[in-house]
Amino acid sequence: MKRWLLLAIVLAVAGLLPLALDPRGYWIRVLTFTLLFAAMAQAWNIIGGLANQTSLGHAAFFGIGAYTSTILLLKFSISPWLGMLAGGVFGGLAALVIAIPTMRLQGHYFALATLAFGEVMRVIANVWASLTGGPAGISVPFSPPSIAGYSFKLLLPHTYIAIAALVITTVIFEWIQRGAMGYRLRAIKENPSAAEVIGIDTTRVKLQAAVISGALMAMLGTLYAQVAVFFDPDTVFSAAGISIRVALIAILGGIGTAIGPILGAFFIIPLEELMNEWLSSSAAGLSQLVFGLILIAVILWRPHGFITVLRSLRAKFTKGAAR
Amino acid sequence: MTILDVHGVSRRFGGLQALSDVTFSVPKGQIIGLIGPNGAGKTTFFSTLVGLIKPDKGSILLDGEPVVGLKPHKIARLGMTKTFQNVALFGESSVLDNVLTAGLLRHDVDAAREEALKCLDRVGLRSIAHQQAGILSFPERARVELARALCTGPKVLLLDEVMAALNPVEMQEVMDLIRSLRDDGITLLVVEHHMRAIMAICDRILVLNFGKLLADGTPEQIANDPQVVEAYLGKSMEKRA
Amino acid sequence: MAFIQAVIDGLLIGGVYAVISIGLTLVYGVMGIINFAQAEFLMVGMLVAWFAWAFLGLDPVLAAPLSFAVAFVIGWFVQGQLISRVLKAPSVAQIFLTVGLLIVIENSALLAFGSQFRSVTTWYQTMSLSLGPLFVSVPYLIAFAMSLACGVLLWWFMRASWFGRAMRATAQNPAAAQLMGIDSALMYRIAFALGVGLTAFGGAVILPYVTVYPGVGGQYVVLMFTVVVLGGLGSVAGAVVGGLAVGVIQALSALVFPIQLQNLVLFLVFIMVLAVKPQGLVGASR
Repeated sequence: MKRWLLLAIVLAVAGLLPLALDPRGYWIRVLTFTLLFAAMAQAWNIIGGLANQTSLGHAAFFGIGAYTSTILLLKFSISPWLGMLAGGVFGGLAALVIAIPTMRLQGHYFALATLAFGEVMRVIANVWASLTGGPAGISVPFSPPSIAGYSFKLLLPHTYIAIAALVITTVIFEWIQRGAMGYRLRAIKENPSAAEVIGIDTTRVKLQAAVISGALMAMLGTLYAQVAVFFDPDTVFSAAGISIRVALIAILGGIGTAIGPILGAFFIIPLEELMNEWLSSSAAGLSQLVFGLILIAVILWRPHGFITVLRSLRAKFTKGAAR
Repeated sequence: MTILDVHGVSRRFGGLQALSDVTFSVPKGQIIGLIGPNGAGKTTFFSTLVGLIKPDKGSILLDGEPVVGLKPHKIARLGMTKTFQNVALFGESSVLDNVLTAGLLRHDVDAAREEALKCLDRVGLRSIAHQQAGILSFPERARVELARALCTGPKVLLLDEVMAALNPVEMQEVMDLIRSLRDDGITLLVVEHHMRAIMAICDRILVLNFGKLLADGTPEQIANDPQVVEAYLGKSMEKRA
Repeated sequence: MAFIQAVIDGLLIGGVYAVISIGLTLVYGVMGIINFAQAEFLMVGMLVAWFAWAFLGLDPVLAAPLSFAVAFVIGWFVQGQLISRVLKAPSVAQIFLTVGLLIVIENSALLAFGSQFRSVTTWYQTMSLSLGPLFVSVPYLIAFAMSLACGVLLWWFMRASWFGRAMRATAQNPAAAQLMGIDSALMYRIAFALGVGLTAFGGAVILPYVTVYPGVGGQYVVLMFTVVVLGGLGSVAGAVVGGLAVGVIQALSALVFPIQLQNLVLFLVFIMVLAVKPQGLVGASR
């Protein structure tokens, strides 16, 4: 009961917060991207946290989604909503292509293959200029504002779409974690042989997780495209800016937990923005360096993420209350 | 009616011939013991039956279906599964979740939970259903693993030393459990080192040595087989008798 | 004719790829972890050599041992303080520790030295020897020769020296090796430091024909991983075979595809190897 109440409060705050911010301001943009990255990290969490398969190339799916919907809109005037679904299909297919040869191998192979795949997609997008616009990037064509056309005058609707995206990806995550698939994934993680012997098709289950994760990530690419309006291969297929960042967010917050990506995003993205503000370009790389150090520190001392810090804090408080 | 038909199964690992032309048949509803010295190939044989290892030669028919080359989850679905000698529970999960996961083979989550509770009842561990599996004692974990294997709804259940580290009372409980499983229509192959238990519950005993099937007969026949006595039973049999 | 030229170029460059990648496979073979930051040490090696050239007038090829030494020291510290703590941790932790290391190294270089591109000029830069209708580029040849020398030294070290044999023993069976008095922690440190040192050495050696900037490691990541997977993760001989193969594949694909698509070809090779024979051409010890 208490949990549902807490959830309702959070959603209410989340729903009202954007309205409190200056609609043309800087912070609402930060909030929107924070929500988007939280959703992206949640999508990664499905394969990285639940299926325990570390992907270092989720940008591949992200970029596929962003380019699919934008190209469909540009060349065939297809609504970005449909484009998003198409992107999801391509993202899922791409995940299959990567996962089928690599999933039966040790975890490192999947990480390598996804890293390479992300890089390759970036190169293809840069080279295939006739389709993607090449390194010069691509612009989402202007449409008159309408919901059906996924076009808005203000940033605010995008913020609410991002909230919805985060809620949906989190719901999907929870549904997987609590359902039959969650049990199977946990079994596979602990002892793949035993899991097989009791009837779990380990390959199939892991592939399912990969496809869901890839498809979601691709659909979020469309969200990004519609907000950013302009993007290029080096941005959406970026290993550091997308792939590693979403994994980092999930890990910092608490890998394999529903709230981890949310905590991680709300810590990292605003912090990054603040650091970029204070430091300006004279210290290029400093914010990234700091995050690299934080990542190392977390891996060494709090591998289960911030959420463990929160849990121990909560344990302290409830113990105190009981007295 | 033959439920398990093994013919000419052989398997080599590098320089070691782990299994050599193993051949036997099992009628439905029997309890078959599998004994032999350490390193004889008993666990390897179980792994081969469930598909974790692929034999170099030979065939295995489960209720008429050939299973060589199938992945373990398919063989589990066809009705054969095993317990692990060193116990392979999912330590981070609860006892109930461990067994429930096996139930997912044939049921959805809620029905699997019901089945899991029934299986835990069967092995007498209902009371610890919500404890974390990893912190239990070895005999308890072995029992949970038995419940888990049971929850897949097998026709043939392979038990690998489930009576290790048990006191006589516990051993009797497990022996009664095995008999009751047989009464429910499950065929069991049991690897065990406790000779008294094997002799007491098994309809038939297979003796494995250096990967070869040395003998195949009733407990009386095995106890009196000079080859078996020399290779394995030795004087300990006389002492126990 | 262009075909043979490409093969020659490919073999020369491939020899260097082998030296660059050996470290990656060595670390995996001895410790079982993939160092995702390996390519960053390439950048470190290149930077050290560049500064030696800029301030001391040293030819990069002569500075290569210095690059090796600097990377060795950094690797020694990194292994002792960081990597050793995750050797028994789940692969997620291992992967992201080295990813964190990647981020730290690259951005430290960015911060300390700026994002500009740096290159050297050597007296032999545009020279080439002619073999009939074929050309052998002198920078490539020198790089290959250095790599060969390095490879021979490494081979001697692994086969004949006590340390080398101790490392191989640790790779095959750490427990047994310890029982024989081999300090596995020390072995891991040597293996890691040696591994990154070799990659840095390779970096210095290619500086005459490659431009260095903080992000240059990223260009070689896919390549290095393709080399070791093709050869077989964990096999040093495999890294040699893989390096030569990748060099030739790259040179041949340049005849057909624009240069940016070379990584695509490598990636396809990589995926095919994983799908068909993940142990690689030579096969791994793990």
